[in-house]
Amino acid sequence: MMVEALLAVTLIGAAMTFLSDDEWAGRVAAGISVLPVVGSLWMYANFQNVGNALLSGSLAYETTIDWIQLGGYTIQWHVGVDGVSMPLIALSTVLTTLAIVSAWTPIDERQSQFYGLMLLMEASLIGVFSALDFFAWFVFWEGVLIPMYFLIAVWGGPRRKYAAIKFFVYTNVASLVMFLGFMALVFGLGDSITVLGLPEIAQALREPGNLSTFFGMSPGVLRLVAFTAMFAGFAVKVPVFPLHTWLPDAHVEAPTPVSVMLAGVLLKMGTYALLRFNFTMLQETAKANAALIATFGVVSVIYGAMLALAQKDLKRIVAYSSISSMGYVILGLVAFTPHGVGGATFQMISHGLISGLMFMAVGVIYNETHTRMVGDISGIADRMPWTVGIFLAAAFGYMGLPLMSGFIGEVLVFLGSFRSTVLPNAPLFTAAAMFGIVVVAGYLLWAMQRTLFGEYELATDYEVGRAPLHDVVPLAILLVLVIALGSSPGIAYNMIQRAVNPILNLAFALGGVL
Amino acid sequence: MAIQVQYYLLLSAAMFCIGLFGILTRRNALLFLMSVELMLNAANVNLVAFSFQYGNITGQVFSLFTMALAAAEVAVGIGIILVLYRNFKDVDVTKAATMRW
Amino acid sequence: MAAEEIPLVFEFAPAIAVLPALSLVVALFFGEYFPKKGAEAGILATAGSLVLSLIMLATVAGGQTVNHELYTLVLGVSEETFGLHLGILIDPLSALMLTIVSLISFLVHVFSMGYMNDEGETGLPRYYGELGLFTASMLAFVMADNILMAFMFFELVGLASYLLIGFWFRDAGPPSAAKKAFLVTRFGDYFFLVGVVGIFATFFPATSTPGMFAGEHAFPVVAEHALAGEATVNTFGFEPQTWFTILGLLVLGGVIGKSAQFPLHSWLPDAMEGPTPVSALIHAATMVAAGVYLVARMYGFYALSPTALGVIALTGGFTALFAATMGVVKQEIKQVLAYSTISQYGYIMLGLGGGGYVAAVFHLTTHAVFKALLFLGAGSVIIAMHHNENMWDMGGLKEKMPVTYYSFLSGSLALAGIIPFAGFWSKDEVLFETLVHGLGTPTASSTLLLIGYAFGLVAVFFTGFYTFRMVFLTFHGEPRTDTAEDPHGVRWNVKAPLAVLGVLAATVGFINMTPVAELTGAHIEFLHQWLDMAPEEYLTNVHHYTEVLETASHYEAAHISPLAPGAVSLALALGGAGLAYQLYGTAAHPEPHTEKLGSIRTLLMHNYYLDEFQVWLATGVTYRVARAANTFDQGVVDGVVNGVSSVSLFSGSRVRRIQSGVVSNYASLITLSLVLLIAFFGIMGGWF
Repeated sequence: MMVEALLAVTLIGAAMTFLSDDEWAGRVAAGISVLPVVGSLWMYANFQNVGNALLSGSLAYETTIDWIQLGGYTIQWHVGVDGVSMPLIALSTVLTTLAIVSAWTPIDERQSQFYGLMLLMEASLIGVFSALDFFAWFVFWEGVLIPMYFLIAVWGGPRRKYAAIKFFVYTNVASLVMFLGFMALVFGLGDSITVLGLPEIAQALREPGNLSTFFGMSPGVLRLVAFTAMFAGFAVKVPVFPLHTWLPDAHVEAPTPVSVMLAGVLLKMGTYALLRFNFTMLQETAKANAALIATFGVVSVIYGAMLALAQKDLKRIVAYSSISSMGYVILGLVAFTPHGVGGATFQMISHGLISGLMFMAVGVIYNETHTRMVGDISGIADRMPWTVGIFLAAAFGYMGLPLMSGFIGEVLVFLGSFRSTVLPNAPLFTAAAMFGIVVVAGYLLWAMQRTLFGEYELATDYEVGRAPLHDVVPLAILLVLVIALGSSPGIAYNMIQRAVNPILNLAFALGGVL
Repeated sequence: MAIQVQYYLLLSAAMFCIGLFGILTRRNALLFLMSVELMLNAANVNLVAFSFQYGNITGQVFSLFTMALAAAEVAVGIGIILVLYRNFKDVDVTKAATMRW
Repeated sequence: MAAEEIPLVFEFAPAIAVLPALSLVVALFFGEYFPKKGAEAGILATAGSLVLSLIMLATVAGGQTVNHELYTLVLGVSEETFGLHLGILIDPLSALMLTIVSLISFLVHVFSMGYMNDEGETGLPRYYGELGLFTASMLAFVMADNILMAFMFFELVGLASYLLIGFWFRDAGPPSAAKKAFLVTRFGDYFFLVGVVGIFATFFPATSTPGMFAGEHAFPVVAEHALAGEATVNTFGFEPQTWFTILGLLVLGGVIGKSAQFPLHSWLPDAMEGPTPVSALIHAATMVAAGVYLVARMYGFYALSPTALGVIALTGGFTALFAATMGVVKQEIKQVLAYSTISQYGYIMLGLGGGGYVAAVFHLTTHAVFKALLFLGAGSVIIAMHHNENMWDMGGLKEKMPVTYYSFLSGSLALAGIIPFAGFWSKDEVLFETLVHGLGTPTASSTLLLIGYAFGLVAVFFTGFYTFRMVFLTFHGEPRTDTAEDPHGVRWNVKAPLAVLGVLAATVGFINMTPVAELTGAHIEFLHQWLDMAPEEYLTNVHHYTEVLETASHYEAAHISPLAPGAVSLALALGGAGLAYQLYGTAAHPEPHTEKLGSIRTLLMHNYYLDEFQVWLATGVTYRVARAANTFDQGVVDGVVNGVSSVSLFSGSRVRRIQSGVVSNYASLITLSLVLLIAFFGIMGGWF
């Protein structure tokens, strides 16, 4: 019942925050959000399982209750956690708390609603990563969008309405496409499933002959159509070129704590769903089209990095580099090797932490200078040495510096995709994607040279002082996490690898110890 | 001998078309209301005629309901027309065109 | 992995790298509270590392070595995946390098007290912390037992150099130079990383530890077996030797970047923006040395590919000459030294490519000593000159600062390769090895070696010239400015490191006097014997490399006496030095003779316009492509998205016109639609 407890605590917390005074809402929300952090870390520490939630049926913290009868299908309340979702849940809870604390400075109106929505979003995120029945999963999936919409539209920058509507419509249409694809699959499966549980559907799809002709589409065509629809739907969330353009606008307009959540966790929903749906349920189709999918990944890596190079707004730089980093995840997933899929999942966690850190650092600088434009600031290191130090560390984390989590994620993806047998010309794809590590260094170093270093100058009329402690502490915590995961990746990687192996039809478990 | 049902239907269709014509061509709201009444009563004629044809009383009961409904509708309609007159100093329906894009 | 018995002393080996890492933490967070602002921590830590390295040296001399896993990053399962781990490999090569690095780092820390503390710099805790990081990364790199760990610390070395070059971040120059250093080396590291990933992919599952440098399961050894047809590796459709050449050249990309070889050398002269002690560390023992050390570390792999060796030799030889010519015209003392570093690492590369493994390691050793000395000497001069680095503003410093002068002279003689100073022995051996292999090898790669040799030989002359031009301009003649008239004094903490290194620069060459050994027949090639002491099972010893060179690359040595080539290079060096004396050493106020070179001087001053070319590549090509991509993204990709919304909005604005507000219109619409609907159903339902 741990998952339910997490959800309940977060939802009750959200209600309490909505009702609390604006003045205290930030403190209340932070205090309450520590509970799910403790809960998820307890789950993490006591986590023991040996398989994949969809395939091997071995799950932690599982609950199954029949819920609704609907047209021959039973809709269940089915939640559970495996090695892929556990780190993501922990990431969501930790990042929410840190984002809430980092919002204390910039959010100065309607606080109770802001923090309430943040907690509401956290609950939906926990739900997305733990729900194993399609109905509940889809409700949570859509449930993330609503708080996000308001968070951007109410507390955002000057073009917040445009960005919020673009975000909402874009991702909602994507959800619709995905939903249609998935439903086609469900109807194609016909009587072979009686519940809409993801494990049941995954297992039904694994056995040949279950899929029948639906709407004039033969099983093979149906798989391809469903795969394409779901891939397109999830690709928007990741985002993958060319479906990425909502992201920079949303990031630029969203307040910093929201950007942290958006880049840190929301993008991972896309890759998580890709892993669960496309690469687990329909992996034959994925393998058959590996080259095409890998091309999307590689193009995202290079294209995102090139775009980041052309930007002047620090947040836009980080936003585009997120596209670049998530491209590695796609490449790793499609490789279908242990290191590839495991590394891609690790990269999700790692990118969540690093991009969160990066956005927070930009936010702290923005709080003090009230500008994010590269040309408007220079030599800020003179005034905010510790913040800049952490910014520097975050940037190097983004570049994949060894002993930080980004390096492990990227190297595992590269090691995995280079050896891929599914992907034709795997070495070439890998080498092309790896060039991203040069471009990422280029734009981050260049931007840092112009903003952080040199003679101190500021185009806005603000007196820059040292950032308050509660702005810097979340940064420091994230940095510690990034370094911990980078120097001891087994903390997350071992459980990830165990959950990923069944996807690759590998039965082994890693080592004796966790 | 009884009158055949198709004559009733012809009458009903004629009344309906007259009502429809009124709605499409008149500008006066009162005439509008009258035309609607005509159309409703055309339906009533149908109901009664078929009721008579099949020897079933249900149709006649329904037509009584329709009449009650029509009365209520007229009450509401007259109310709307009064408000219309108060706001536009006229009962011409084409003048009250502010509720558009 | 069998649980092997590890001699107790090696349990302390990780501390060699951990101590400076601790000094990073101590200096950075608590440096403010120390009287010397963190220097104490750094000095203690590097002294500890030095002592431990010497103990390792002694232990290795006693015949004990270690090669084992220490820490698992990612678990592996032997059948399906390989793990990633950190480990230590201490054999003669790494023990030697550890000693060099920790010695130089220790001296640099001491010197820094004079250069930074006494000059009243701010931000010293950061400085000493970064020095600690630099030393720790390099030491960990040196003792890495596998290529992934080597890559990791290779990168961290790059990070530390970025931080240190950009130490004075409030000025415009250092941050830019730091960025350039990191970016150019990163470009090289990209190829290195592709190579690393390729090596792992190639040698797994042939060996369960595909990244290891030494031992039966190491990749160079497996590659050797694969060439002999005794093992199967995944060569991605290529001939094994071709694929190994590709992998070797990919890794070489990182080497070329870090060791500042042509065409990725341009970051190094810019890196002079950093504090001078840092330059000493970068040039002598850490950053730049990392590249060639890597080649030496995996020499067994390069020895399998004559093409890769030829490329290494040619790159090295060309860079040696190329950089030496640019050093001739520079006016800042540190610039001259920077180009000399590039040139000298060219020699080391030439030696490695030319089959002279021992010679290259020898030159790496001697160069570390004399280049550290020269930089620290230059630092001393810079302190004295109140941070004016232009040699034309100096002159006559010989009398004012004798300790600096004599130690600097010792280093210069070593750099120029004048007998019996260190550089002579090692450079001579590099050239000799290249020559004999170039002459003896029957295959096509011999041409590459001979061309490389020719480049290297010509560069000897230039080296002699620019070295002594620097010495004469700086120390001889009459003072040319008021500062040079009355230089700032330096304290013991500057003089002591200079003295130590000055003595070493004169003597360290005696560890491998090959020509003398050849003449007298005495067994005094200590370095050769030392490197040959690596245990048989590691397969990293010299006779194994020689064997591989012969079997796989068909390298054969021609039997000629080392005397004649040695005499030629000595004569060239003396010739260069003599010319410098003629031009700059005789007059009290020497003329700027290089200006007579006219357009060639302009070309050399602009470094053959390579910097301009690279800047053009970055801003003129890459940035423009990025801008174009941005326009494309905003215009086309986002344009389609916004287009969809515009089309919806536009059609909505048109369609809503039906809502005219006139009730009659609505009524007609309803009627019309109803009629159409009935007609539709009628036709579809077959009513008519």
